[in-house]
Amino acid sequence: MANVMAQNRRGGLKRYYDVNGWLFIAPALLLIGIFLIYPIISSLTLSVYSGRGMMMKFAGFGNLVRIYNDPIFWKALTNTFTFFIIQVPIMIVLALVIANALNNPKLRFSGLLRTAIFLPCVSSLVAYSILFKSMFSVDGIVNRTLIGLGLMDQPLNWLTDPFWAKVVVITAITWRWTGYNMIFYLAALQNIDRSIDEAARIDGVPSWGRFFYLTVPMLKPVILFTTITSTIGTLQLFDEVYSLTEGTGGPSNATLTLSLYIYNLTFRFMPNFGYAATISYVIVVLVALLSFLQFYAVRERR
Amino acid sequence: MDTLPLKTFALRAALAGATLLAAAPAFAGEITIWCWDPNFNVAVMREAGARYTKAHPETTFNIVDFAKADVEQKLQTGLASGTTNALPDIVLIEDYGAQKFLQSFPDAFAPMTGKVDYSGFAPYKVELMTLEGKTYGMPFDSGVTGLFYRRDYLEQAGFKPADLENITWDRYIEIGKAVEAKTGKKMTTQELNNGGMTRIMMQSAGKWYFNADGELDVTGNAALKGALEAQAKMVKAGIVKPATGWNDYVNAFTSGDVASVVTGVWITGTIKAQTAQAGKWGVAPTPRLDMAGSTNASNLGGSSWYVIESSKEKDEAISFLAEIYGKDVEFYQKILADRGAVGSLTAARSGAVYQQADAFFGGEQVWQRFSDWLAKVPPVTYGIFTNELDNAVTANMQALIAGKPADEVLKDIEAQAQTQIQ
Repeated sequence: MANVMAQNRRGGLKRYYDVNGWLFIAPALLLIGIFLIYPIISSLTLSVYSGRGMMMKFAGFGNLVRIYNDPIFWKALTNTFTFFIIQVPIMIVLALVIANALNNPKLRFSGLLRTAIFLPCVSSLVAYSILFKSMFSVDGIVNRTLIGLGLMDQPLNWLTDPFWAKVVVITAITWRWTGYNMIFYLAALQNIDRSIDEAARIDGVPSWGRFFYLTVPMLKPVILFTTITSTIGTLQLFDEVYSLTEGTGGPSNATLTLSLYIYNLTFRFMPNFGYAATISYVIVVLVALLSFLQFYAVRERR
Repeated sequence: MDTLPLKTFALRAALAGATLLAAAPAFAGEITIWCWDPNFNVAVMREAGARYTKAHPETTFNIVDFAKADVEQKLQTGLASGTTNALPDIVLIEDYGAQKFLQSFPDAFAPMTGKVDYSGFAPYKVELMTLEGKTYGMPFDSGVTGLFYRRDYLEQAGFKPADLENITWDRYIEIGKAVEAKTGKKMTTQELNNGGMTRIMMQSAGKWYFNADGELDVTGNAALKGALEAQAKMVKAGIVKPATGWNDYVNAFTSGDVASVVTGVWITGTIKAQTAQAGKWGVAPTPRLDMAGSTNASNLGGSSWYVIESSKEKDEAISFLAEIYGKDVEFYQKILADRGAVGSLTAARSGAVYQQADAFFGGEQVWQRFSDWLAKVPPVTYGIFTNELDNAVTANMQALIAGKPADEVLKDIEAQAQTQIQ
C-alpha cells in the first residue's frame, strides 16, 4: 500500500515537472509553430496548387512535371551550381591562405590587415552589389584601369556578356565573404598549440608541408563547417544577382539563380505562388542533402 | 494660369457648383497613393492632389514614391496575403501589366464603370483596363514614342532635322555610322537586358507577342523578327553604347555621350532637366521597320491609376480621380507643359499648350507632334504575359547577335515562352 502511494506520488511529481517543463517552453513552441511550422506546412500545401494569382486550382504533381519540363528552371539550377562549384573552393582556399598568413606572429599591422579583410562582410548586400555594378560598367573603373595599364584596347561589356557577367558575380561574392570565412580559420588557428608547429619546424618540415599536413588537417572541422554554410549561402544567392542585373538574371539568363527565379515567378511574372513554392522546396531538398553530407562527414571523423 | 483668370474662375465655379449639386458625402480621409518616378508620376499626382484639396480642403494626400518594381511587388504581396490595410487607396499600374493584375486578383480593384465617363478617353486605354464588361481604372498617360536627338551632333555630321523625318531603322543605322565618324559619339544607347526596344519596333507594325485572342504569336511574327534583326544590326554596326541598367541608360543620353534615343514621351521631363542642353535637342518620328504595315509611330509603357476595392477611402479616391483626371482640362495642360505627360483624355488635346513651341527643343511644337503620332500608334492587345516574353526575347538576343539565324532564334523564344506562360 505504502509502495503504491509512493509510486503515485512519484508519478504526480513527474507529471508536475512535465507540465511545468511544457509550460516553460510553450511560448517558444507557440512562436515556432506560428512562424516556422505553419509556413512550412502551408507552403507545402501551396506547392500542389497552381494558377494565376489568387485563381488557384489543385494540381497534384503538376508543378513537379512543370519543373521537369522547364528549361529556365534547369538553367537557374545549373547557374546556381556553377556559382558554388567555382566560387566556394576559391573562397575557402583564399580564406585559409590569408588566415594562415595573418596568424604569423612576426607579421606587423596584423590587426589592421585583419580588419581590412573582414570589413567587406559588414557592408550591406545591396550596397556592395551596386558598387560592383558601377565598377564593372562599360565606363567603370575596372575597364578604365585595365585600358590604362595597356591590358585591353577596348572596354569590355562585363555585365552584358553571359560569361563575364558570371565572373563579376563570382568576384563580388568572393570579395564579400572571404573575410567572413577567414575569421573562423583565424579563431581555429589560435586554438592550435604553437609547439606542434615548432616541433615540426625543428624536425625540418618545410613551411608548405606544415601548412598542408599539420594546419589543414587540424582545421578540418572548421573547413567543413564553412564549406557547408557557404554552399547553402550560394544556393540561396539572390541579392547580388538581383542588384547587378536589375532583377532580370541577364544577360541571357546567365546569372539567373533559383532564388531569383522564385522571385520572378512570384513578383515579376504572372504570379504563380504554387509553382514558386515547389521550386523553393527544391532548394530545401538540396540544402537538406548537403546538411546530411555534413553530419555524415563529421560522424566519420569521430 | 494667370493669363486666363476669367476662364479659370468660370471653371472653378462650375466645378464647385457641380460638387454642391452632387451633394456628395463629406469626405475627410487621407488618400494614400503608390507610384514611381519622382520627376513624372509623383510630381503629376502632387499637382492633382493640390488641385483637389483646393476644392475639398478636408481631403489630404499621402503620395509614396517607390521604384516601379517595388510598387508591383508590394501590391502583389499585399493582394495575395489578403492584408488589405497594408495596401494604398490608389496605385499606379503600367498598362502592360493591367490585365495580369485584373485577372489574377479578381475583386481586388474597384470597378469604376458608371462613375467615370470613359467615352472621353482614348479607346485603347479604356480597353486594356476592361475585364468582363467592367472597367477598372482611370486612364493616365500615353507612352507615344519619338526619336529624341542632339541637333548639334547631327548638324556636325551634316544632317538637317528633315533628314530624320520618317526614316527606317536601316537609314537610322547609316546616319549613326556617319555621326560616329564625324563626332566620335555613338548614335544611341540600349539596355540589352530590357525588351523595351523590341516592343517599340514590334508595335510600330501593329503586332505584339500575342495575337488578339491572347495566343502566342512568335515564330510567324514578321514584325517581331524584323525588330530582332534590326536590333542585332544596330549592335553589329557598332552604333549602340550598351547600358547595364536604367541609370546607365539615362546617363548615356543626358550626359551627351550618345546622339539620340528612341523612347516614350515621358522621358521629356528627364531630358529637359538638363537645362544646360537647352536648344540642343530635337524630336523626330520613331523610325519604322523596313516592312509593309510598319508606321513611324509607336508606344512604350504608359500607365493608369487603380483604386483598391477594399480601401476605406474608396469612394473618395474615385471621386478625386473622376474630378481631376476625368475632366480637369487645365490640369492636363499643366502637367504636359511641366512634365511632358501626354494624358489620354481626348478633350485635353485641343488645349493651348499643345500648340506651344518649346525652346528647349529648338522652338519645335513638340506636343503637337507627339499628339499627331499618338493618333497613328497601331493598337495591339498586350495580353497578360509581357514580362515573360520580354525575358524570353532578351535571353535569346545574344545568340542572334552572335549570328544564329533569326528563324531559329524565334523558335527558341517560342519554346522558352511556352513553358513560362502556363
